[in-house]
Amino acid sequence: MTTATLTRAGDAVRPTHRPGMTDLMRSEWTKLRSLRSTWWSLAAMIAVSVGFTVAACAVYTHDFTHLDAATQTEFRQDTIGLILQPGVQFASLAVSVLGAMLITSEYSTGMIRATMLAEPRRTRALLAKAATFALFVYVFSELIAIPSFFIGSAITSAHASVSISDPTNIRAILSFGLFMTAMGLIALSIGAIVRHTAAAVSLVLALHFVLPGVLSLIPGTVGKHLSAAMPQGTSVVVSSGHNAGNLYTPAQAGLILAAWVVVLGGAALVSVKRRDV
Amino acid sequence: MPKNTENLRRGHAPAIEARGLTKSYGSKTVVDGLDFQVHAGRVTGFLGPNGAGKSTTMRLLLGLERPDSGQALIEGRPYAELTAPLSHVGALLEAKAFHKGRSARNHLLALAQSQALPERRVDEVLDLVGLHDVAGKRAGGYSLGMAQRLGIAAALLGDPRIVLLDEPVNGLDPEGVFWIRNLMKRLAAEGRAVLVSSHLMNEMAVTADHLMVIGRGRLLADCGTAEFIERHTDPAVYAATPDVARPALLEEAFMRLTASAVEYSAR
Ligand SMILES: Nc1ncnc2c1ncn2[C@@H]1O[C@H](COP(=O)(O)OP(=O)(O)OP(=O)(O)O)[C@@H](O)[C@H]1O
Ligand SMILES: [Mg+2]
Repeated sequence: MTTATLTRAGDAVRPTHRPGMTDLMRSEWTKLRSLRSTWWSLAAMIAVSVGFTVAACAVYTHDFTHLDAATQTEFRQDTIGLILQPGVQFASLAVSVLGAMLITSEYSTGMIRATMLAEPRRTRALLAKAATFALFVYVFSELIAIPSFFIGSAITSAHASVSISDPTNIRAILSFGLFMTAMGLIALSIGAIVRHTAAAVSLVLALHFVLPGVLSLIPGTVGKHLSAAMPQGTSVVVSSGHNAGNLYTPAQAGLILAAWVVVLGGAALVSVKRRDV
Repeated sequence: MPKNTENLRRGHAPAIEARGLTKSYGSKTVVDGLDFQVHAGRVTGFLGPNGAGKSTTMRLLLGLERPDSGQALIEGRPYAELTAPLSHVGALLEAKAFHKGRSARNHLLALAQSQALPERRVDEVLDLVGLHDVAGKRAGGYSLGMAQRLGIAAALLGDPRIVLLDEPVNGLDPEGVFWIRNLMKRLAAEGRAVLVSSHLMNEMAVTADHLMVIGRGRLLADCGTAEFIERHTDPAVYAATPDVARPALLEEAFMRLTASAVEYSAR
């Protein structure tokens, strides 16, 4: 056993400054990067997302002359959607699992106690975690969206031209990151509320992939509007918005998505603040 | 002059104070109107039968749980009002408080960053608890004793003036037990307040200067260790025991005091 000192005399151990939000975010970044599951999820997200883009673009381009007129028009009017959307579902699945587990794994392992001892103002602790995760997911998602755009536009160039200088395309590319960030924050919020990994992941999957289908069964336009207003429905933000079937414009969908994040995030903050750890 | 009042408060406030601290789970009152103070410069043993409420009291002191009534104060303030709290209070809890998938070094690094502590402190505490060689390995693979050492490293990270240890010798080998005993004594000798819960009476008899005993959430005794033994052992036995052997009477004294407060016992 070594006899290192506790450094009481002289060489006092003190915070170098009054710790603030940036210190909490550095801490959260260390936590996020030091788990292998973070990197697996993201590797899967890149591979599948880019893979789906390539596959969808290749199939549509190859079969272009056999497509009916309506589909051809759609292809031309929303090429950016064809490029970016194929990977959206899988990528949001990966981000959701990561987001939910970011917090539920702290509850299941007991790490949450260390987190709350380090920052007893619990809403700040959760905000730091959310902000760090959001930044990380945004940057990572753009690292998928930007190459996907260039690969997809190269493949589809025979029948459509999508330019990076078109503001609609820039908006869609930047929105890919925002959409994924929102998916991550929704999952993180649900995880903070229910605290158990299996329950949180099931709820998130139900919200994204089951509920929209169920809601669309409601007769009339109500069901369709409700379904389109579910988080996954708002993925219209990563399209041109020129599809005939769209119920909401990208701007409207973006606002709906923001509302989801605010409502669920707010509920998570209240839950974390009120309940014992 | 806020600085002066701050100093005054720190000078006069006990390291830890509970005032009418009460917590119930459902209809069961687990911590029942506790009033106590824990002072700097000594090891205070926190004793009580299983389920007496020791761990719950510690979680209340640390703000992990809210009391139904009463107050838990650290140097006169609720835990939640401390800035860089790990520099004030270090705690080893009964249940694990680290992620299994993360290495000891990264766990401690994240905690140090959250407190704006210099990164070199991570290596210092790793040395101090003897985990340096395994610091890069996943903490999920650690033995009970290694996990306990990681918890102690986290508790000492901020060089805190107050240390709370909930059953720290749990899972430690004899060398580890010896090490913890000396560590606690040294922390107290350096002027820190040490509050430690344990079921090992022989261990407490030689480590604790002061004892707080609870049963069913109520304070049963709060006095010096020697005085406690004298007060609660059979007077005939006490008189017949030579001075040096008296610490061995702690177990008997404890049993006599808590006999009526034991909830979970074999029949
Ligand atoms: N979160 C909880 N919900 C319900 N009951 C709880 C909870 N935490 C503790 N209890 C109950 O409170 C009582 C006191 O528990 P606590 O863990 O504080 O006792 P303890 O003195 O630390 O016991 P031990 O010596 O066994 O560690 C026990 O009866 C326990 O079952
Ligand atoms: Mg306990």
